[in-house]
Amino acid sequence: MTPTKRMDMDEMLQKIKDRQWALADIDWTAPGAETISDEFRPKLKAFMADLCWIENVGARGFAAMAKKAPTPTIAEIYRYFHAEEQRHANAELALMKRWGMLEDGEVPEPSVNIRMAIEWLDTYADDMPLSVLGTVIPMLEVALDGALLKFLLEEVHDPVCHQVFEKINNDESRHIAVDFEVLDLIGHAKARKLAIDFVANVATPGLIIGALMYVPLLNRMRNNLVGMGLQPEKLYRAMERFEKLGNRGEFTHRVPLFQVLRVHAAMVVDPKHPYHLVANTMVKVSEYYPRALFRPIPTWFKELTHEPTTKGVKKGMNAA
Amino acid sequence: MHTALVIGAGFTGLGTAIKLRESGIEDLVILERADRVGGTWRDATYPGAACDIPSQLYSFSFAKNPGWSRTYSPSAEIHAHIEELAERFDLVKDIRFNTEVTRLAFDKKEAHWVVSAGRRKFYARTVVVASGPLSDASLPGIRGIEDYQGAKILSARWDHDYDFAGKNVAVIGTGASAVQIIPELVKTAGSVKVFQRTAGWVMPRVDFETPAVAKAVFARVPAAQQAARTALFLAHEAAATGLVWDTPVTSLIQQAGKLHLRLTVKDKWLRRQLTPDFRAGCKRMLMSSDYYPALQQDNCKLITWPIATITPGGIQTSDGLQHEVDAIVFATGYDVHLEGPPYPVTGLDGQSLQDEWSGHPQAYKSASAHGYPNLFFTCGPNSGPGHNSLLVYVQGQIEYAVAGIRTIVEQDLRWLDVKKEVQDAYNVSMQKRLRSTTWMSGCASWYLTADGFNASMYPGFATQYLRQMQDFRIRDYEVSSAAAQRLWNASSTEPGRDLTAV
Ligand SMILES: Cc1cc2nc3c(=O)[nH]c(=O)nc-3n(C[C@H](O)[C@H](O)[C@H](O)COP(=O)(O)OP(=O)(O)OC[C@H]3O[C@@H](n4cnc5c(N)ncnc54)[C@H](O)[C@@H]3O)c2cc1C
Ligand SMILES: [Fe+2]
Ligand SMILES: [Fe+2]
Repeated sequence: MTPTKRMDMDEMLQKIKDRQWALADIDWTAPGAETISDEFRPKLKAFMADLCWIENVGARGFAAMAKKAPTPTIAEIYRYFHAEEQRHANAELALMKRWGMLEDGEVPEPSVNIRMAIEWLDTYADDMPLSVLGTVIPMLEVALDGALLKFLLEEVHDPVCHQVFEKINNDESRHIAVDFEVLDLIGHAKARKLAIDFVANVATPGLIIGALMYVPLLNRMRNNLVGMGLQPEKLYRAMERFEKLGNRGEFTHRVPLFQVLRVHAAMVVDPKHPYHLVANTMVKVSEYYPRALFRPIPTWFKELTHEPTTKGVKKGMNAA
Repeated sequence: MHTALVIGAGFTGLGTAIKLRESGIEDLVILERADRVGGTWRDATYPGAACDIPSQLYSFSFAKNPGWSRTYSPSAEIHAHIEELAERFDLVKDIRFNTEVTRLAFDKKEAHWVVSAGRRKFYARTVVVASGPLSDASLPGIRGIEDYQGAKILSARWDHDYDFAGKNVAVIGTGASAVQIIPELVKTAGSVKVFQRTAGWVMPRVDFETPAVAKAVFARVPAAQQAARTALFLAHEAAATGLVWDTPVTSLIQQAGKLHLRLTVKDKWLRRQLTPDFRAGCKRMLMSSDYYPALQQDNCKLITWPIATITPGGIQTSDGLQHEVDAIVFATGYDVHLEGPPYPVTGLDGQSLQDEWSGHPQAYKSASAHGYPNLFFTCGPNSGPGHNSLLVYVQGQIEYAVAGIRTIVEQDLRWLDVKKEVQDAYNVSMQKRLRSTTWMSGCASWYLTADGFNASMYPGFATQYLRQMQDFRIRDYEVSSAAAQRLWNASSTEPGRDLTAV
């Protein structure tokens, strides 16, 4: 195999800086909102709400990654990605607002599975080593973040939505390029170090709870898609991309957690696999999770807003 | 023709003049580009400006001020003290104000420096560069800055005519100036949004009013004031074990910083945003007890999203939002001249100091550079403290320059030029000692050049630094003696040929 050419991270950072966009670049009142039927609206609202919170979860993941980054340039890239996921969430909120899904001041309620993910991130993410975060984040990005958007475009014919998702997808293509480059860098590490990181973290409550949270979250999104009349195959194709992109790297296959996620993805994409029985039970069970057990929503969760412009400081609001 | 010429009338320039006079060198001139003395403390007039090293230590031991009003005196009081020094030591008559040095060139034939200030020229046997380590500041090159329609205010050149009352204000930067400005702005502005790139280590700053008794005692018993100063000096020296070298003490200091954060910031996420990700000491320590409380005021907000661009109406961050503001305060620091003074300096053979120092500035004991005879730097390469008062170090530099100038005068030398091998050996040892310091622990800071070379900080205790500066050794220098030259000229058919190393 010819050695893979390493990505020039300084160039990538420059590209990211040059490609920044803002909510204000989009005309949120342009015609097209009427293409969403009354019948479709509630389903789309549930989907968008989850999508928007998944962006926020991804954002928090990048915040944790920034502290672990192998070089200052990659740390700075993650700092941007953290903000960009937030931007996606803000833009998706703005779409919801445009489609009449949000009352004044309303912010969609995060589902139980999202609440669990948030708690997990807030408790464990900063302590996870790069080799764990650097494998989980790419999975989240290909399976949930990047791919979900693509289905939407097939179902939604609002041109503003297309305009927004074109921008988001451009960001995502850079995220995924960097994600898999770093995953490959991780694979380049000494086998011993990889094994230690893996063994030391697989058995920890952090990772076990992480898995318990990820499995139902994924199936919940799958069920959401089916509810909207979409074929879950789309999600499966996306998950297969994780393996495909990973196999392009020279060293990625050496990362133990990559192998775990790969096998897991294979189970997910097989609709007859008994895995789905377990996973769907977990979704149902999680519905019964007593809300009172959740800790208060962390403040970073309250930073989302659909307002493109802010003036002054409003504390404790969903506005900057 | 002057015996000595000093560039700059800040603390350092005036201190040099005082010490030169004291050693019998009366024929000196000080060139100052502004119309008043004071340097940093004349220019830093932003709200909250004060020193962050206790005033007892942030002053010269040979020109104390028994009357400091507080532990950390405000800018105006420090400026008044410097003006008082100029009066007390009768220096004003020797200062040429509104005289900005634009070039320094050594005239080998005449063995003197030609100092240009625009079209005016000054001639001097020796020159002391005291134009300041942090005396120039400019707006940062942030994307879109030229399009901004609101008020642009540079912390280093505060615009006192701008009324902040009720205004929506952005502050870019969270360094030493910002942590002093923000608590003041929050009191008057309508809103303050603070844009942070990297969080610094913030230590509480316990600022007392000096009790009247202490002032009275200091005024009458100078020894008591010296004792207070010595105690502070030793306390700061102890901190070097953690702030200069990366050691377990560094971790202890970080624990103290985190405790400060935990005790004063309620919200977990805000604490995370404010937790530095570099070793304490690697960048300048921030001293403030009111910065964290200010950030939590209802009209203040910390924003850690990257700035995507400045827009005509405000600041656009990477989370896709526009922040509309009436004014932007750029607390973005100073143009640090790591690669030599910002005006051209040419040496013995017409070579350029800026070229030689490009990337890797080098000097001997931070004061002399080979090929630039009779020239003494203050705040030169590898002279910065990370844990102590800059003026303690400057005092050592002044002593060294005075010893050199006296040698030139007393031994009637044409010039004194540090030997290349002496300078090289010194720098090899500097760079070796720097390796285990906090500054080289992996953070990007203004202490380092673009390629990560540390030519700014001194890797050691102030005590070590002072000891080396008190030890001026003529054997480290090549000398050209005036008497020998005269003899040579008289006997030789080749007049003007120079004799070095006589
Ligand atoms: C806001 C601020 C706070 C600080 N607080 C501390 C502190 O608490 N503790 C500490 O140890 N250090 C502190 N410092 C560092 C501070 O710079 C030094 O402590 C000290 O003031 C330096 O004095 P100086 O005379 O060397 O330089 P300056 O005070 O900068 O004086 C240099 C003088 O040279 C003049 N000059 C510059 N260029 C030319 C030219 N080409 N021709 C003629 N004249 C010229 C300038 O106008 C100025 O008057 C602080 C610095 C700043 C900016
Ligand atoms: Fe995203
Ligand atoms: Fe992403």
